[in-house]
Amino acid sequence: MPDLSASLDSLVSALVPQARTDNALNAELLAHCQDILNSHIGQNNDADIGHLADLVKRHLLQTSPTGVTALKFTNLLSRLLDQPVLSKKHASILFLHSLASAPRHPTVTPTFLPSLAPPPPRPASTVPSAADPPPAHQPYGKSKAEKLREYRQKSGQPHLPEYLLLRDTLYLLQGISGKYIRLSVSNDDPEQNKLVFVEDSKHIIAGPTKVLIHRLSEVGHLYTRVEAFVRDREAKPGVGMIEQSLCHHLQAQLTEYYRLVAVLESQMSGPPHSGGHKDGNGGEGNVRGGEETGLTLKRLDVWINEWRLRMRMMSVCVEGARDAQGGALVNLIHGYTDNGDPFVRKFTDQLLEEVSKPFFATLHKWLFSGELYDPYSEFFVSLDPELAHVQYVHPSSLAGGIGHLSADGGFAGLGADNDDISGDREGGLRLWEAKYQFQKEMLPMFVGEAFGRKIFSTGKSLNFIRYSCHDSDWVATREKMSNTGGSLKYSDISGLERSIDTAYQTASQRLFEVFIEKFKLLDHLRALKHYLMLGHGDFADQLMETLGPSLSRPANTLYRHNLTATLETAIRSSNAQNDPPDVLRRLDARMLEYSHGEIGWDVFTLEYKVDAPIDTVLDPESMIKYQKLFNHLWKLRRVEGALSAGWMKVAGGSRTFLRLPDLESDWHQIRIVMAEMVHFIRQMQAYCQLEVIECSWKILIDFLDKKEGDLDAMIGAHSSYLDRMVKKVLLLSPKAGREENLLVQVRDLFSTILQFRDAMDNFYNYCLSESARRDQGRDVDRGVFTGLDQNTDNQQLRDALPRIRRMIKEYGSSFSERAQVIVHGLQSHTDLDCRFLGIRLSFSDFYKSKKEQQAQQQRS
Amino acid sequence: MSSRESDRINSAQQTLDILFDISQLLNTKLDKETLATCVGLIESGVNPEALAAVIQELRRESVTLNVQAANAR
Repeated sequence: MPDLSASLDSLVSALVPQARTDNALNAELLAHCQDILNSHIGQNNDADIGHLADLVKRHLLQTSPTGVTALKFTNLLSRLLDQPVLSKKHASILFLHSLASAPRHPTVTPTFLPSLAPPPPRPASTVPSAADPPPAHQPYGKSKAEKLREYRQKSGQPHLPEYLLLRDTLYLLQGISGKYIRLSVSNDDPEQNKLVFVEDSKHIIAGPTKVLIHRLSEVGHLYTRVEAFVRDREAKPGVGMIEQSLCHHLQAQLTEYYRLVAVLESQMSGPPHSGGHKDGNGGEGNVRGGEETGLTLKRLDVWINEWRLRMRMMSVCVEGARDAQGGALVNLIHGYTDNGDPFVRKFTDQLLEEVSKPFFATLHKWLFSGELYDPYSEFFVSLDPELAHVQYVHPSSLAGGIGHLSADGGFAGLGADNDDISGDREGGLRLWEAKYQFQKEMLPMFVGEAFGRKIFSTGKSLNFIRYSCHDSDWVATREKMSNTGGSLKYSDISGLERSIDTAYQTASQRLFEVFIEKFKLLDHLRALKHYLMLGHGDFADQLMETLGPSLSRPANTLYRHNLTATLETAIRSSNAQNDPPDVLRRLDARMLEYSHGEIGWDVFTLEYKVDAPIDTVLDPESMIKYQKLFNHLWKLRRVEGALSAGWMKVAGGSRTFLRLPDLESDWHQIRIVMAEMVHFIRQMQAYCQLEVIECSWKILIDFLDKKEGDLDAMIGAHSSYLDRMVKKVLLLSPKAGREENLLVQVRDLFSTILQFRDAMDNFYNYCLSESARRDQGRDVDRGVFTGLDQNTDNQQLRDALPRIRRMIKEYGSSFSERAQVIVHGLQSHTDLDCRFLGIRLSFSDFYKSKKEQQAQQQRS
Repeated sequence: MSSRESDRINSAQQTLDILFDISQLLNTKLDKETLATCVGLIESGVNPEALAAVIQELRRESVTLNVQAANAR
C-alpha cells in the first residue's frame, strides 16, 4: 500500500525531526510502525459511537469537572456527524480518544498493552475435561483463583468440592451431622454444640467457606432447639393451652421450613460429571455449571436468610416459654410486636394471633358466661381452690319462711337456727372478694389494665349472678346472644374493647337489677335505717315504753323470749306492722354478752339478719357497725325519753299540786338545768338523724338510682355510707388513740343526765310527801281526818332534803361542765359537721360566755 | 462542477477544523497537518488504536533521540 507508507513516512518525519536526515532511522521507524499497525491491537472493538462518546465525555469530565469541555465536545461531535466527508468518524474519534487517554497514564499503558498482547499459551492443556470451556474466558487466560487452585492441587491439598459441603450443610440445617462437617455434642452442656470440620489428608476446607457454613449452621442450631422444645411439650402432660398453641404454631412453621429444605435439596443437583469428580476438577465443573441454575453455599445463605430471622424469633419464644406461662407468655411475645423491623412485627403478629387463641376462648367464656375454664391456670383470673366449690346455699327457711310467717314460729324459729346461719354466711363477702383473684402479671399487655379489671369484674358479676343469685337462665340467654356477635381475636382489639364494654355494662346492670328487684336490697337498707337507726320514731317509742321497765332490771334476769315478745308487740302497735313480712322476720332482739352488775339497758340490742346473697353487701362487719350505731342511738333515745318524762313531771306536777312556796326556787333551778339538757339532747338527736343519717342515705340512694358500676362499686358505696355515719354519729376523731374521746364524754354526759333525773325524782317524791303532809295538816286544821300523822317519817324526809338538794346541784353543775368540755372538743373537731354540731350546741355562745364569765370572776 | 469541488474541499476543511477542535479539547498535541495525515490513514482503513500506538511510539522515539543528542553534545 503505497498510500499508507507515504503517509507513514510523512508522519515519521513530522514527529521525529531527526529521521528527516537519518535514512536508516527513518527506515527502522517505518518498519516498526508497520509492525504495530499489523498487530492485533484493538481488533475486537465494535463501532458504537454512543458508547465512545460516553467514554470521551467521562474522560473530559475527569480532566475538567465543570463540564464545559464535555458540552463543547458534544457540540463538536454532532457537527462532525453532520459532515458528509468522512466515512469512519467513529474510528477518528477513537483514535483521538486513545491518543488523549494514553499520555495520562504513561506508566500503565506500556505494561497494560503487553499483558494483553501475548495470547494465553496453555488454556487447552490445563482443562482436560474441557467439555464446555466458555470461549469468552479464553483470551483472559487463567484467573488468579484458578492459579491458586492449581497450586493447591499440585501441593496435594485441594479444596473439598462445594457440592459435598453443600449436602452436609443441608444436613446441618436439619440438625444432622454430615460426612465432612459434624456436630459435636458435649454431654455436659447441650447448648454448647460445636461444628467440627472433618479434614482428611486429601482435602481441606477453606477458611471463608468455614465461616459461611458457620453462619448457615446457626439456623440448624436454632432449628434443633425449637424442634426439641416442640417434641418435649408434645410428650409432656399438663402443658398449658397457650403453650400448646405456641407449639402448634411452631410446628406449622417448622413444616414450612421442611418444605424449604426439600426445595433446596432438589435444587442441589448432583455432580454433573460422574467421572473424575474425586480429583476436585469435577467439583470445579459443578461450580461452573451451577453458576447458572444450581445451588451454592452463598445462594443457600441468601435463601436461608429470612429463615434465620424467623428461627431466631421462634427460639426466643421458646426460651421465654421455659419460664413464662399463660398470659405472661403472651405478654412476652407481645413485647416483640413493637419491633421496628416489619418482618419481625409481622411474624410476631401472626404468632400472637395463633398463641392468643386459647386465651380468647377462655376470655369469651369468662366474659359471656362467667365461667372460668382454665385447666392450666393461664388466665389472668385465678380461682381460689378453697372457695371453688363453696356456693351460696339458700337457707331452706327462706323459701318456706316467707310464706308462713306465723306469729308464734317466726321469731323463735329464726332465733333457734341463728347460730347455723351465722356460721353459714361467714363467707358472704369473702366469697365475692376472694373466689376469683386478679393476676396482674398474667394480663396480656394488649388488653390494658383498666380493661382487665372490667373483664375481671364482668366475669365475676356473671358468675355471681349465676351461682349466688340463682339466675343462670339469664346468663345462659345472654351467652347465646353473645355467640352471634362473632369471636374475639387478637387482630381486632377495638372490637374486643367494644364487646368488653357492652358485656360489662349489661352484667353490672343486671347485677343491680337482681340486687334491687329480686333481692330487695333497698328494702333491707331501708329497714336497717328504720329499725336499727331508729328512723321509725313511733316504733322506737313503743319499744322504749314496753321494754323500759324490764330493761332497768339486772341483765341476768332478762330472758330472750320476753324480749322478742316485747319487740313483736312494739312492731304490732306501731306503723312498722305495714312493712313486708320478709323484713320484719329478720328483725330480732337479743342481749349482748353481759357481765355481773350490768342492767338490761347495757346489753339490749336489736339485730337484723341478712342472708345470701345480700350479705355480700351487708357483710357481718357492717352489721357490727350497724349495731354500734344502734347502741348509741338507743342510749340517746333513752336519755331523751327520761328527760321528757321528767320534764312532764316538773312542768305539770310542780305547778299544779306541789304547792310548796319555800321550794319554788329549787324547782326553778331544776327547770333551768333541765332545759339545758333537753336542748343538748334535742340538738344531738337532730344532728344524728337529719344531718348525718339522712344526708348519707341520700348519697347512697343517688348512687343506687344511677345503676352504674359493678358489685364492687355497690359494696364500696354502702360501706362508705356506713362509715360516714359511724364516724359522724359516734363523733369519732381521726386522731390515733383518741378516736373515742368525745364518745366517752358524751356517754358520761348521758349517765350524768340519768343520775340527775334520779335525783330529781327523789326531790319530786320528797315534795310530794311534803305537800301531802301539809295538806294533811291543813285538813287537820279544818277538822277533817285524812290519815295518820307520820312524824317520824317526816323527820327522816326533812333530813334527806339537804342531801337531795346537794345531789341535784352537783349533777347539774357536772352536766354543765361536761357539756362545756364536749362543746369545746367539738369546736376543734376535724369534721365540719361535728364542728357545726358544736356551734349549734353553744348557739349564741352560751357555753363560751359562761367560761368567760368564770374567767372574769376569777380576775375580779 | 467546480463549485461542487469547492464545496467538497470546503466541507473537508470544516470537518478537519472540527476534528482539530476535538483534538485540542482532548489535548492530543497534534498539529493540523499531522491530524490530516492521520485522518487520511484512518479513512484508508488503518486501525485507529494501532495508529495511536504508532504516534506514541514515534513521540517516544523522538524524545529518546533528543536525549541521546543532548548527551552526545
